[in-house]
Amino acid sequence: MKVLKASLGWIEERTGVVAFVAPLLFHHVPRNAKWWYVFGSATLMFFTIQLVTGVCLATVYAPSAAQAWESLNYIDNHVPMGWMLRALHGWSSNAMVVMMAIHMLQVFLHASYKYPRELNWITGVFLLLTTLALAFTGQVMRWDQDAYWGLGIGAAIADRIPLVGDEVRALLLGGPIIGGATLNRFFALHVFVLPGAAIALVGLHMVLIIKNGISEMPKPGAVVVPSMYRKEFEERMHKDGVPFVPDAAQRDMVFCGVCLIGLVALAAFYGPFGPGGMPDPTIIDTNPRPDYPFMWLFGAVSLLPPSSETAIMLIAPAVGVLILVALPFMSNSGERAPSKRPAMVLIALVTVMAIAALTWEGTTSSWSPVMNGWSSLPTPVKFVRGRTPLEMQGAVVFQFAQCRNCHSLDGLGGKRGPELDDVATRLSYDQLVRQVQQGGGNMPAYGKNLDSAQTAAVVAFLATLHPANEPDSRIPGAQLSVPTDNATAR
Amino acid sequence: MNCVRAGCCTVSLWCWMVGGGCERPHPEQHAAALSLDSPAAAQALFDSNCRGCHSQGAEGAALPLMNKNYWAIATDAVVVQAISHGQGRLMPAYIDSEGGPFTAQEIALFVKGMRSAWGAGAVGRGGGVSPLIVAGDPALGAQVFAESCASCHGSQGTAGSVTDQMYLRLVSDQGLWSSVIYGRCELGMPAWDDALPNRPSGLTVAEVAHVVSWISSQRVAAHDGSATP
Ligand code: HEC
Ligand code: HEC
Ligand code: HEC
Repeated sequence: MKVLKASLGWIEERTGVVAFVAPLLFHHVPRNAKWWYVFGSATLMFFTIQLVTGVCLATVYAPSAAQAWESLNYIDNHVPMGWMLRALHGWSSNAMVVMMAIHMLQVFLHASYKYPRELNWITGVFLLLTTLALAFTGQVMRWDQDAYWGLGIGAAIADRIPLVGDEVRALLLGGPIIGGATLNRFFALHVFVLPGAAIALVGLHMVLIIKNGISEMPKPGAVVVPSMYRKEFEERMHKDGVPFVPDAAQRDMVFCGVCLIGLVALAAFYGPFGPGGMPDPTIIDTNPRPDYPFMWLFGAVSLLPPSSETAIMLIAPAVGVLILVALPFMSNSGERAPSKRPAMVLIALVTVMAIAALTWEGTTSSWSPVMNGWSSLPTPVKFVRGRTPLEMQGAVVFQFAQCRNCHSLDGLGGKRGPELDDVATRLSYDQLVRQVQQGGGNMPAYGKNLDSAQTAAVVAFLATLHPANEPDSRIPGAQLSVPTDNATAR
Repeated sequence: MNCVRAGCCTVSLWCWMVGGGCERPHPEQHAAALSLDSPAAAQALFDSNCRGCHSQGAEGAALPLMNKNYWAIATDAVVVQAISHGQGRLMPAYIDSEGGPFTAQEIALFVKGMRSAWGAGAVGRGGGVSPLIVAGDPALGAQVFAESCASCHGSQGTAGSVTDQMYLRLVSDQGLWSSVIYGRCELGMPAWDDALPNRPSGLTVAEVAHVVSWISSQRVAAHDGSATP
């Protein structure tokens, strides 16, 4: 004991660490700060789990387009408990987002963002953004079909930015298309840049918490008056507060323990996320669904008419962030009790319900692709009969490339793109080639993902899709440019 | 005291979960794996994973598998090989080691189930032709093609070319072999032992080999680096 004390003293004298840590542990917190206040700690716990499991994963994960998928498979199947590590990382990431949302909601409802804690809130908003960015880049790390799609959507959003769209896209993807450079970029973001930012922000958030103290439970009538608040708060804490350790920390620990058990249970029961799909990122999967934290955005977009998509995708998130940042400046004094701020409670309620409903919409929306259309819906007889061998292969390509997930034939298939039963009456051969290679609207560009033979076959098949009594558009001059090796070998 | 008890509970719960959870869970597959070799389970699996390409009758763009003609000739080994590792350019690999959803054991059971669903009564009707491609002589094959196939597949025929380069780049030789031996009678393509022009009782096993090797010999290597099957 004596030795311990002596060495601690030795260190303390040279670093001041005790003087630094002691107030962190024993600062006074409001006595009535009960179970409402545990969500922030739980978020921090999930973040710590992310750091630890993330570092472990980084030791095995190979951030190259050729090996990423394989290395995940290796972790899942050959590293002892490796799958558990991945499951924990994946579930804890979702849990962190959820816990953070609950924490924010609690702070919002209790108006804890009012004077003097405006910056606590603002660092929190940036932490939210960083966390979402981590979730997004993390999804890319799987480098499977979902990742590929998430990126495709991200790139499409970047593309919509006026004037500099191309540049932003190139910056994100490391080139005009998704490739090996993309993964490297996202890897750097996911393991260096964003965690660094998150750690710094968490630190700042903590410093601010210590500096400003934890807000008391709101009481109707106990208004915040900036000019007097700090002095009165400090007096109340001094008189009536309890030290963080062990009083409040104890509750935090119990709650974190419960969360941890829940996390391990989820991970053990449901296993890791992905890596799904075939390892070949050049195969375009047609389920453009992002991971859960982004599902609501996706659902919102699905409800919008395509004409307003650009505006909403670009402007809505910016406005949302702006509102969050501006919140403490809009009202930083006055009542904190929810019962005195019915409008705010209503806003919170509506927001939560809207996000829940949109998430539901995003998960189930009818327009979204029919996931196994390509492998479960056979080409109808009338589109098979009388076709040449090449056109038949084209019909197989149509399934293989999962066009069917978005496009229906004879009423069966996805509804995301137009039905193609009579597409040959609308588009000429050239236009069909163009549509397949370059995509457009919400259709992915298949350019590099189908070679010349596959493109030729699928277009040959599409060109047969017209009612028997109507002429197809292979009318004179239309079929000039059969895709040749040269045309697609770029 | 309460704390100690809560601690014990937590620790034992942990042990239970970590200990019980050492197997990586495959929630979607647990149920299916139990009775994959039953006809109903095989049909269900086929409907969601394969039917988009392989169906029955005139339906579907690839070889129909839901019929006994196929199972009369095909051996389990050929089918397992195709499902596990894919075939040609357009048949995906389904085994987990290649990114697919099934384990080797599940594929074996699945094939058993398909055979019991559609292969009943098929035994011994193959006529001695191999389900796996056999080498032949292209020169003799040219002859067979001119006599028995060209009326439909030649420049005057309406069935379309089978020597189109784009077509040949997409199908494997094994795929050609299967097209010739199984045919698609509902679409007007005869099976190997159906009546053919100049060959009322169909091809001999050797003639099948010759004609397939001739078609395959018409394939020119691709210029754009796209793999030939
Ligand atoms: C993610 C869903 C999706 C996938 C997968 C997809 N498409 Fe599309 N496709 C669309 C959408 C959406 C449109 C409408 C584009 C627009 O609004 O300009 C479209 C349009 C088309 C058109 C033009 C139809 C018309 O009437 O103008 C053709 C042809 C087409 N797709 C063919 C294909 C082929 C072939 C494939 C597979 C190689 C494919 N699509 C895969 C979503 C998809
Ligand atoms: C009575 C006309 C007829 C004759 C004779 C005929 N075929 Fe066909 N064949 C067709 C039709 C129709 C198709 C298109 C349906 C299809 O693709 O299965 C076809 C398709 C094919 C295909 C492509 C199958 C696919 O989908 O990839 C091959 C290969 C083929 N025939 C080879 C031959 C060979 C070899 C012979 C001679 C032994 C032959 N055919 C004789 C009518 C015929
Ligand atoms: C995207 C379309 C597609 C899907 C889905 C698909 N296949 Fe295939 N399959 C093909 C094509 C095309 C071929 C012929 C390839 C070649 O040889 O060129 C083929 C070949 C085969 C063969 C070999 C036939 C022979 O004897 O030569 C078998 C067996 C087979 N598939 C079984 C299945 C099973 C079982 C499933 C579902 C688990 C399945 N396929 C899913 C397209 C598909």
